[in-house]
Order: sequence, then C-alpha cells, then structure tokens
Amino acid sequence: MGRRVAAYPPLLLAACVLVALVAAIPLAFVVGYTVSTGWDEAWRLLVRPRIGELLVNTARLTLGCMVLTAVLGTGAAWLVERTTLPGRRIWNALLAAPLAVPAFVTSFGWVSLTPAVEGYWGALLIVTVSYYPLVFLPAAAALRGLDPALEETARALGHGPWRTFLRVVLPQLRPAVLGGSLLVGLHLLAEFGALQMLRYPTFTTAIFDQYESAFNAPAANMLATVLVLCCALLLTAELRLRGRRRYARVGRGAARSLEPVRLRGWTAPALVALFAVVALALGVPMGSLVHWLVVGASTAFPVASLVTTAATSIGLGLLAALLTTALALPVAWLSVRYRGSVSTLLERSTYVANALPGIVVALALITVSIRFVPSAYQTTGVLLVGYAILFLPRAMVSARAAIAQAPPVLEDVAHSLGTRGATTLRRVILPLIAPGVGAGAALVFLAVVTELTATLLLAPIGTRTLATEFWSHSSDIAYGAAAPYAALMVAISAPATYLLTRRTRNTS
Amino acid sequence: MTALAIRQVTKSFGPVSALTGVDLDVPAQSFTAVLGPSGCGKTTLLRLIAGFAAPDGGTIAFGDQQVAGPGVFVPPQRRQVGYVPQEGALFPHLDVAANITFGLPRAARRSGERLAELLDLVELGRDVATRYPHELSGGQQQRVALARALAPKPSIVLLDEPFSSLDAALRLGTARAVAQALRAANATAVLVTHDQDEALSLADQVAVMRSGRLVQAAAPDVVYASPADPAVAAFVGAAVLLPGTVRGGTADCALGAVAVAPGAVEGAAHLLIRPEQIRILAGSDAVPAAEGVLARVGEVAYFGHDATVRLQLEPSGPEVVARVMGTRTPAAGERVRLAVDGVAAAFPANGH
Amino acid sequence: MRKGRRRVLAIVAALAVAPGLAACGGSDKSGSAGSPEKATLTLYNAQHEPMMKELVDGFTKETGIKVNFRNGKDSEMANQIVQEGAASPADVFVTENSPAMTLVDSKGGFAKLDDATLAQVPKQYVPSTGNWMGFASRSTVFAYNSKQLTKEQLPASIMDITQPQWKGKIGVAAAGADFQAIVSAVLAVKGEAATAEWLKGLKANAKVYRGNGAVMKAVNDGEISGGVIYHYYWVNDRAESGANSANTELHYFGNSDPGAFVSVSGAGVLKASKHQAEARQLVKYLTGKNGQKILADGKSGEYSISAEVPTNPKLKPLGELNAPELDVAKLNGPKVVELMQQAGLL
Repeated sequence: MGRRVAAYPPLLLAACVLVALVAAIPLAFVVGYTVSTGWDEAWRLLVRPRIGELLVNTARLTLGCMVLTAVLGTGAAWLVERTTLPGRRIWNALLAAPLAVPAFVTSFGWVSLTPAVEGYWGALLIVTVSYYPLVFLPAAAALRGLDPALEETARALGHGPWRTFLRVVLPQLRPAVLGGSLLVGLHLLAEFGALQMLRYPTFTTAIFDQYESAFNAPAANMLATVLVLCCALLLTAELRLRGRRRYARVGRGAARSLEPVRLRGWTAPALVALFAVVALALGVPMGSLVHWLVVGASTAFPVASLVTTAATSIGLGLLAALLTTALALPVAWLSVRYRGSVSTLLERSTYVANALPGIVVALALITVSIRFVPSAYQTTGVLLVGYAILFLPRAMVSARAAIAQAPPVLEDVAHSLGTRGATTLRRVILPLIAPGVGAGAALVFLAVVTELTATLLLAPIGTRTLATEFWSHSSDIAYGAAAPYAALMVAISAPATYLLTRRTRNTS
Repeated sequence: MTALAIRQVTKSFGPVSALTGVDLDVPAQSFTAVLGPSGCGKTTLLRLIAGFAAPDGGTIAFGDQQVAGPGVFVPPQRRQVGYVPQEGALFPHLDVAANITFGLPRAARRSGERLAELLDLVELGRDVATRYPHELSGGQQQRVALARALAPKPSIVLLDEPFSSLDAALRLGTARAVAQALRAANATAVLVTHDQDEALSLADQVAVMRSGRLVQAAAPDVVYASPADPAVAAFVGAAVLLPGTVRGGTADCALGAVAVAPGAVEGAAHLLIRPEQIRILAGSDAVPAAEGVLARVGEVAYFGHDATVRLQLEPSGPEVVARVMGTRTPAAGERVRLAVDGVAAAFPANGH
Repeated sequence: MRKGRRRVLAIVAALAVAPGLAACGGSDKSGSAGSPEKATLTLYNAQHEPMMKELVDGFTKETGIKVNFRNGKDSEMANQIVQEGAASPADVFVTENSPAMTLVDSKGGFAKLDDATLAQVPKQYVPSTGNWMGFASRSTVFAYNSKQLTKEQLPASIMDITQPQWKGKIGVAAAGADFQAIVSAVLAVKGEAATAEWLKGLKANAKVYRGNGAVMKAVNDGEISGGVIYHYYWVNDRAESGANSANTELHYFGNSDPGAFVSVSGAGVLKASKHQAEARQLVKYLTGKNGQKILADGKSGEYSISAEVPTNPKLKPLGELNAPELDVAKLNGPKVVELMQQAGLL
C-alpha cells in the first residue's frame, strides 16, 4: 500500500525546475521571437507562396510516409511474428536494421547512384524505408504480447484467419501502429539531411537555406514557428493516443505461443516482398556506400581525419549521454516517486523537445547564447545543451522505466535489513536502475553520433564530427570522400542499435 | 515477556486519520496476527513498528527499549526487524543466495553456512540458491523473502500480507511452512492480513482492527467464540445473528432456548450463533414435535467435506445458515428440525 | 533478459572508457589560449576549405602563426559576425563572394586594412572603404550539356533563361551565396524591378539544387540542359576525372552581361580581433605574391588577382571575360535575399 504522501524534497525540486527551464528554452524562444517580430513582419514572411509550397510539400510527404510506414511496418511485423515464414529470426534483425543507418546516409546511398530518386516519389521511398522500423518494432512487440486466447476465441466463433486479423488483431495493434507512425511523422518534420540531398524542400530544409542565406534572421525563425506548430499537432495526437492506450498486464510465467499461420503458396511472395524491403532500405544504400568506398575517384581515405572526427563524435556522444542522463534522472525520480501535479508538469516539460526539430533547437540556442550568454556562445557546452534538450525525452523514458523497477518497498526492505541510505543506494537502487538508465544513455549516444542538423549549426570552431564532415564532402558531390565517414557512423551505431532493439524485444 | 509494546499510537496522513490510540502487546516468541479489512490501518501500524514512518503520538517499545515516542526515533536499519512485504519484494538484480544474505555482514555473506541453514529453515532446496527471483514460483519467493528477513536474527519479524498474492493451493502450504520456520527460529512475529482463516489458523494472538482502532486482541478461539461486538463476530467468521431475550443463562430466540456464555447481560440481546452450531436433527417426521425447531431446507451448497444449508424457520421465522457434514446433507425442500449446540454469545440489543 | 541487460551495460561501459574525451579539445575558444609566443588566429572561412587550407599552410610555414578554421557559408557567417559583434572570436573573415563582406562592412565589423596591403591587388578588387579586399575571383558561366544543346541554342544573356523554352531545363543553386552574388550583379546592372521579374521567371523555369557541383552533375547527367554556376567547378572536375563534366561545356556570356559577372572573394580583418597584427599579416599574405602564387598554381581553379602573378593558364584569361563593371562595395546581399524570398526561391 503505497500511501506515501510526502512533500517534494526542495533540492530535488529545484534541480528539476532547472532542468525543465533548460528544456523550455527553445519553445520560449520560438514564442518570444514570434511575438517580438511583430504582426506585419510575421505576416510578410508567412503569407507568401513559398510557405504554401513548403506546407504542401511537408504535409504530403509526412502523411504519405506515415501511411506507408504503417502498412509496411504492420505487414512485416505480422509476417515475422505470426506466420510460418522461414528465417524469422534473421528477418527480425534485418528488418530492424535500418534504424542503425541515419536517413541522410540512406538518402546519400540512393542519390549518389541515381538522381531519379530526387523529388517527391523518391523522397517518399527513401524516408519510408528509413523510418518504417519505428512502426515495425512496436507492432511486432504488440503482436508478441497479444493474448492468443483472443484469436482462438474469434476462430471458435467462426472467423477465418483474415477476418480474425481484421477484427481482433488489428484493433489491438492500433495503439502501437498509430503511435509508431506518429513518431515517424515527428521524425520526418525534423528531417533535414535526407531531404536536402533529395532536393525536396520542406520547412526544415527551408529553414536551413534561410540560415545559410541570412543566419538567424526573422525569416528562418518564422519558418521555425510554423514547423513547431506542425510538430505540436502531431505530438498532441500522440499524447491523446497514449493517454487512451491501455497496457495489458503481462502475466507471470511463459506466454503460450499461438500456432503460426501457414503461408503455403504465399511463402515465396512474402519472402520476395520482405527481401525487396530490405534491399531498398539496406541493400542499395549499403551497396552504394561500399561502391563509393572502393572505387570512388576522390577516395583518398584520410585516416587521420577519420580518426579525429570519429573520436570527436564519440566523445561528444559520451558527454551528451552523461549530461542528458544527469538531467533526466532527478526529473524521472521526482515523477516516479513523488506523484503530483507539479512533478507531472515538470516531467511533461522535458517532453516538449519531442516537438522541436534539431534545427529549431539549434537556432534558439544560437540566438539565446549570443544575446544573453556571449561567453558560452560557440562552445561545446552549448552544443551539449542542444543535444541534451533534443534527446532528453529518450533518456527520460528509460530512466522512468528504470526507477519504476526499483519500488520504494525494496528500500524499506534494505533498511529493515540494516543498510543505511548510501549503502542502499549502492547495493540496491543503482544496480537496479543502472541497466535501464545505461540503455537510455546509449540511446542518447547513438542519436548524437548520427545527429547532423543541430551539429552543423552549433559545433564550435574546429569541431568536426563524422556527420559534419560527411555533410561537407557530400555537399561538394565528393561522394567517395564522404563515404568513409558515413560508413564509420553506421559501424559505430549498428552494434548498439542491434542490442537495444533486442533488449526491447526481450522485455516487452 | 513482552517483545513489543505499543501504547496509544496515533498516525494521520494529512486530514485522514489512519490510527487512533492503538494499544498492543506482543509476547516474545509468539505469533500475532493483525486482522482487519483493507484501509483499517493495519499496514500503517506495521510500517510504524518497522520504522518506515514515525507515529504522530504514543510510544513503541521493543522489550525495554523505546524505538518511537516523544523525542525518540530509531531508524529502521537499527531496529533489527525482519520485514516480509507483500509479494516478497525480492531484489530482482540479486540471486536467491544474495537476497537471503543481503542483511548479513560481509564475512557471513561469503561463508554460506547461514545460507544453508536458512534454506533448510524455509524448506527450500540448495539448488534454488543460484536462481533469480523471476525464476521462482510465488510461494518460493515468499519463502526466500522470509529467509532474508530471518537471516540477521531479528528481534521481531513483520509480515505484510505475505500470502495474499498466492493462489489458494499455494497459500496454505506456504503459510504453514512460514509459520513453522518462524517457530523454529524462535522468532517473534507480527502478521498483517485481511484473511480470517489465515489469522485464526496461524497466530497465537489475533488483533482485530477496524477504522484505525484496535477492537479486540485475544487468542484465536476467544476472538471466534467471544467476539467483542457483532461486527467482529461477522468479520472473523460466518455468523447467524438473531434477536432474543437473555434470562438466567439461557436465551430465547427463533431457534428456541439457547445457552449463553456466563456473564451475559440480562434482557434484550443479539445472539451470535455460528452455522456449525446449528444441528439438523433429521427429517421432521422422524423427530417428536417437542424436540427442535421446524424449518424448511432451502439452497444447499455442497463442498465435499461439508455443506452449508439455508434454512427457512417455520412458519415464518428468519432464515438461518447451518454447516453440516458432507455425509449428512439434506435435500432442498425437505422439512427438518433444528437444534443448537454449545453456547451462543450475547450482545446487548441497544449496545451496538 | 538479465543477460541482455548485462551486455548493454558492458557496451555502455566500453564506450565510456574507449577513446577518452577527445572532443573536449575542441571546446574552449582557441586563440587566447594558444602558445605564449605566437597567437593562434581564428579564421571564419566561407571559402572552399581545401583551397584555404593550402593558402593557410603556406602562411603558417612562413610566419609560424597557426590558424583555426570555422567553416560556413558566406551569408551565414557574415550575419553571424554581425550578431557576435565585439564578442566575435573571429580574427579574419574570408568569403567566396563580396556581398557578405559588404554586409559586415556596412555594420562596421572590419578594421581598415593597411594601404600597402590594399595596393597588392588591382583597384577594382578593393571597395572604396578600404576595409576589406578581394584575394581571388571567379567567373559566372552557363554550363550546358553539349549533347542536348548546340552553340546556336545557347542564351545570349543570363536574362534570357527565364524565357518559356527553358522551363524545367535549367538549374541553379538558389540557397547558395554564389548564385545570390550573381543575382546581386543582375540587381546592380538591371535594377530592382527587372530583377524581381527575372527571379519570378526563374522560379517558374529553374530546378533548384544544393550547390553548384550538384547543378553541374545534373547538367552532365542530362537531367537539365544547362545551369548557372561558376567556372571552376567545371575546371576542377575536368582536371580530376571528368566524371561530372565530360558531357558539359561552358558558355561565357561576355558583353558586359550580368551573366558575365566576375565575383570577388574577399578577405578582411575583424575589428573585434584581439590579434590585429597577426590578422593583418594573414590578409597581407593572401593578397601578396606568395599567397597569390599558391592560388594560381593550386587545384582550386579560382582566379588569382595579383598583377604580379600570372593566372592559371588553364583558365580563360580574366581580360577576355568582358565582365560588367561593378563596384564591389555596392553588391547588396540582404536585398537579394529579400527579393528571392518574394519570388519564392527561398
């Protein structure tokens, strides 16, 4: 009976308020800037054909990709989890693998082979094969978690396999699939590199163009406002969905598995379809990458530069993971252990970054640091704060789950067995939350190593990362020179991504 | 000797009062069950004893050492209590051995001697030692939790509804094993539970709580046979409550003349008769009209070892429930005669 | 589940120990923290990095002064310098095109250069303020796919590419400072109304690419028939492999057409610089004989401008370009951005 009505500890509360304030900088900036720009100027910058064009471009790509990823992710998940498809374990790994490849690298792989992928249809293809794992993974997890008894009941009530899927399985998958595709939408709104390379202008690429043309001028910031509104729309939908979602409680003991659907004659077409997905998502871009690595005319393999940029990327990733985790922990602790309206508000404020693309966060931090903290401007510190704001939600999710794994009763037991606070922390709480918090830190690390947009804007003088170096070479059409950096990014993120996806698979 | 003495303990959470003036003595090496419905304050009482929270008023003493009271608060880690929470709360990151020896000094943790002893005590095989909590059944988890609590040889062991999450089949065996282990360890134990059968069958003393108050603390048979009030009577077991009039050691009621416990107040009263006290004499035809009260058999619930029978007293009396041996179950609709065995408890009619 | 957890932990641990915190090195602002004897300069570099690397290496060899690069684009860095104001860590700013220099100059961001340094290049490369100077230049060209277009079909003026027959057949890198400099030349020669009209036509006709290299590649692949770029993209690619230029030829507009615009790459010393002497040394080197020689002999393909150094013989001589005569100080970047926003190109 956890009826602990405890007041918020003041130090913890102060720390959390500080974190929430930092996380709120970009949003406050966007709102403040929009207000201070004034109505006339805002009107001039917002109501012009270009904005309409961008809006249409952004909307049709986002919606198209959300629909396609939902279909592709669900279909693939069903084939892998519920049918007699041969090699299901391998397919599982292969289908999740595109997560380890940044979309701008996939895009690079394609566009360096053929300019035919430029424009809407190419962009749609590339972002779809880059992002469908965001639907595939939760859909597969949901399929694994379904109670087989429900499907058996439907079959007993006279439904065939197809009707059972439509009327019983699909409705239960809906939260996972919708949630996943909304996440795809948010990612797409923030996507810069992939679309810039495909010559498909959206709000994010337009903001970058404006930034290159006029730094942080009102035009860029006003576009950022519109972009944030789009994101907020999707995020609201996602939050409402999450609020209604009910998690089935996982029973003790091994779950009974359902008899898989026999594909019979459909085995070959299914295999071909999955093979096509993997070929488009991994085969072509990775093949292209290897091609540019091997035969690229401008490939000189600058070992020294590769080593230093990789070290910088890894170092930044580690520092950002450390900082982000340190910021997430107090808020997560407060929100798990001291439920209340204040702690909920503080927790939610850290999720605001979900609606803020990297380009907006970067613009905000540039302007804020120049105006208010000139000494911090152009430092690794600001870059790290940018990363922390962007990836705080990832660290929070893991930290919250980890802290929930260590309920207060375990502390009570430890105390009753004679351990004091510090010892309890060392022997009980840390070992319990470390794996989850560590996984969260690893997620942040991965995200930072493959982050392009904010890094381009915020990296201080002399700081070159794998992503920025890749970008600078690929902008010069020096595909061969760009390839090694892309390959290294994939090499760094692939193993950890694999383990993390396996982990979610095992725990769900 | 009293191992635990609680005096006038009060505790509230904001405006909600959880405990009001609770007194309880727990004799050394005894097993006390604190029994009450959920929300009665029994878990709060346990947490105060453990030291996870401090009382607002009153004192708590372990033997002659006060652990909580005005200006005194001994933190949980220095109280030497063993604590077995609901669902065991084993440390999920530690295996069984590490869980059990968690509270032991470093050297003893390594030796393994005490571990073997404790595994034996709670009747677990040695092979369990290397398993992790999620690999154990619910009953095994509870036994490990008990072993962990007993490992540092605590002066008192507190059990917070430890069996409520187990299914019926496991519950009985686990509860018996736990009680046995506690006795073998000569431990003083306080168990919190809402399950009457558990309290009555395991404890030496049953303390019944209601709305933050301790209503009655006595041996199980006393609580059952002579409850403090009708509500306690109904809480600790099935009860038939009938109005009647007490006169000179006998009460007159719908079931005829029934003997009452000595010392009962004269006059109008509520009589407590347990279903197993109501005896079905036989079919109405076989028994002389003078003996027993006439009733018609209603619904019969058959449990194998016994059965409960609803009986409508004739011609228009109240309905009563009788518990009869499984071998002598009447058929529904049958007319029977009833008699009452033993003594009924009587509560003054206006008291309550 | 447990094993998985352990493995993740191990990975995190391994990552944490692995390469140390190499990145910390890049964090603090260099310059002041450099070695005691020589300052380290911070160069805000909007030029092509390999070319500047070559030049700066020569400079460091000659003077022992080390230079840190921050790379960016013309307008981005110019605006950045303006915003940074006195707090700017930049010592020297170099660009690909002059409008960015003019922007910084108009906000008083540059320190006046020494007359001796200014005298190292012909007058047309120095603005009247004398606060910055050109050190390299590049010519606007119309790159065309020689399999799709004959010489007769080529546009006579850059103004003609807005004619209907070019719809969907030409490419520009609209977001780039290079193209925006070309637009500034159109603006300077033809005036605001004609430029706005021309941009509108361009919006209808042109495909927009990420950079000049991408435009040329698209021309070469036959995606488009022609594009407006600078000459050296073609020169360099031909020199290297021709992979993106084999099917492409250059058309120089000449005739003082705005399309014959020669854009000036500028260099200037920041007023905010705390290493004025060293910064001036760098600009002096870039525009001096040794720097210009590196430029002329190097692989950049850009024009050196010093009268004392012969230009790269592979390039069409500067004198034959018939560029329009424009005051380098008058090319207006912000106005161009505004016009392009109105036309929907940005």
